[in-house]
Amino acid sequence: MFTLKKIRINNLKLINMKTLKLVVVVALILATSIKANAQLTGRQIVEKAYNLPTGDDQTSILTMTLINKSGQTRVRKIQQYTKDFGNMEKSIMFFLSPADVKNTSFMNWSYDSDKADDQWIYLPALKRVKRISSDSKSDYFMGSDFTYDDLGDRKLDADVHKLLREETINGKDCYVVESISKDEDYMYSKTITWIRKDNFVGMKKEFYDEDGELLKILTIKKVEKIDGFWIRMHSEMNNVQKNHKTSIVLTNIKVNTGVSTSKFTERMMMRGI
Amino acid sequence: MEFKIKTMRNKIILLVGILFTGIYVKAQKFDVTGFARTYEGVTYNNGDFAIIQQTLNLNFEKRGERVAFKVNPMVYLYNTDSLNLNIREVYMDMYFKNFDLRVGKQQIVWGKADGVFITDIVSPLNLSEFLLPDFDEIRTGVIATKLDYYIGNSTIEAIWIPQFTPTIRPDANSIWYIQPEFPVPATFDWSQSEINPSLENSELFLKWSAMTSKVDFELMGGYTWDDNPAMHVQKQFGLDTITMPPSPMLTGLAITPEHHRLTVAGGSFSTEVKGVIFRGEAAYYNGKYFQTEDPTAEDALVQKDYLNYVAGIDFNIANVKLSAQFIQKYILDYNDMMLDDEFHSTATFLARYDMMRETLHLELFSYIGLSDKDALIRPKVTYDFDDSFSMLLGGNIFVGEREGQFGQYQDNSMIYTKIKYNF
Repeated sequence: MFTLKKIRINNLKLINMKTLKLVVVVALILATSIKANAQLTGRQIVEKAYNLPTGDDQTSILTMTLINKSGQTRVRKIQQYTKDFGNMEKSIMFFLSPADVKNTSFMNWSYDSDKADDQWIYLPALKRVKRISSDSKSDYFMGSDFTYDDLGDRKLDADVHKLLREETINGKDCYVVESISKDEDYMYSKTITWIRKDNFVGMKKEFYDEDGELLKILTIKKVEKIDGFWIRMHSEMNNVQKNHKTSIVLTNIKVNTGVSTSKFTERMMMRGI
Repeated sequence: MEFKIKTMRNKIILLVGILFTGIYVKAQKFDVTGFARTYEGVTYNNGDFAIIQQTLNLNFEKRGERVAFKVNPMVYLYNTDSLNLNIREVYMDMYFKNFDLRVGKQQIVWGKADGVFITDIVSPLNLSEFLLPDFDEIRTGVIATKLDYYIGNSTIEAIWIPQFTPTIRPDANSIWYIQPEFPVPATFDWSQSEINPSLENSELFLKWSAMTSKVDFELMGGYTWDDNPAMHVQKQFGLDTITMPPSPMLTGLAITPEHHRLTVAGGSFSTEVKGVIFRGEAAYYNGKYFQTEDPTAEDALVQKDYLNYVAGIDFNIANVKLSAQFIQKYILDYNDMMLDDEFHSTATFLARYDMMRETLHLELFSYIGLSDKDALIRPKVTYDFDDSFSMLLGGNIFVGEREGQFGQYQDNSMIYTKIKYNF
């Protein structure tokens, strides 16, 4: 004979069994997930960070502020466009200020293969587009603390990546990955990158000089999801040896607006925005 | 389109004109950029000022989706009283889907070479201060209609110039003027040196260029005028009565400078190999008149074809940007009575280093006359006091044989300063 209490007990058992099964399944999923992430190698983490989707095209205004050790500032403003062409990415920059570089433009074609980037510059005073060497990646961009290499896309297998540890910065759990270039002549002896575990967005990067001394620290100060894509809105590079820094702020960001392929041509370099 | 303004009244009119233009362009929301510059140079041979020049460069631009307009007046004040107004460019642009049209006075730059002019022959040169001005100021604008038709990454450019503009030479009172030497008195008749503007006398240029991931190249052709006039020399004879019997003797030269048609075809390329930029440029000039000592030659001239070519590389060593070029001119079907050499070789060298976060720039540029055994050495240091204000200290050092194109200016070697404000 079934009593109400028995029914309740049985129901309770049933619920408990269901709950238990659910807990086990969730735990298994979590465990699998944690195990999967825990098993990620340094290379896999960096690969996920490099392969974060950025959209088919992107437009923004980049404001670069150079701050010297006495706090004086110099500001450069650039309108930039980027478009993914499948096996290559094209980007073009139009310099808006300061006055002496206004109407200068710079175009870069980077390739998924090992082919070196193609780069051109248009100087309005010279009235012609000139091909320049992409070999000068260790040059600092417009006197800032960012080298051309810092700003460009680095090839995944140009470095050997090693997961050092996990850390929390600004309340976000991060992988800490060390990357050492396979090229002995590379300008940095190593870099250490803090990559968020939840979305693989880089949050911080340390650059070490050829003597192994800390040279620069890149800090991502603001990241936002725009149209479904993670965008670093504000970053700051601090040269700790020379005590000067550069901040980069992106505004007017637009993603997947269908930037025309004709934007990335000699015609547009000379015409301007 | 250069005006020398001599009287105080005209100077005031010019300044008031600029002021009202400024008010007008502000009302019309023109984009205004430019620079003010003071430039002083002193020859270290005798301490004389080689140049005292104040410059105001103004760019007024207005651009819409389909049209654009630009006017670029430049005002030069030499010493304290010689004011020159030069409308360097004034043109309108029309943008279409696959082509652009530019009409008006414009500077057009072709080729891949730096500081030498092989296929870059559309805009003539202003050599009134030899090769010393900045490269954007050394070219003069031409009144032209330019059509650019775009196919992917390549461009077909066609240019029609209704009125010929010659190379501008130094005035006779300029330190850059070289007095020609003749064994007997010479008279010049400049009446034939003008080219009457007409359809028949217009110049045509065509270029096909492409920018690809492997190589950039240009192929060009031009039906033009020689920017430099040929000197038609008529010998004048008298009787030498000292000798017996009296014999004819050369008593004078009548020289008639005259421009002639020139047909040019050429090309250039630029590519990168392992971080090094390789550049090349060559042109074939058909029908150039050269001076000759051949007594049977009409007007002491002979017509020949010649080749002009350059090979150059750009590379970096330890953040120093280096560039070198070898330039050669070769006269075909040469004979020994010609005054020019069959081969004439020049080289250029550039080293540039930026430091202090690109506020201090060190540069050394040189022309080296391999045939003439002379050189122009141009070191300079530029400091950007801030983003709009720069100070430059430089030297123009002419060395070598006095007969050479650079060595002839030995006495003009100078140090100079330029202070520039960009806005």
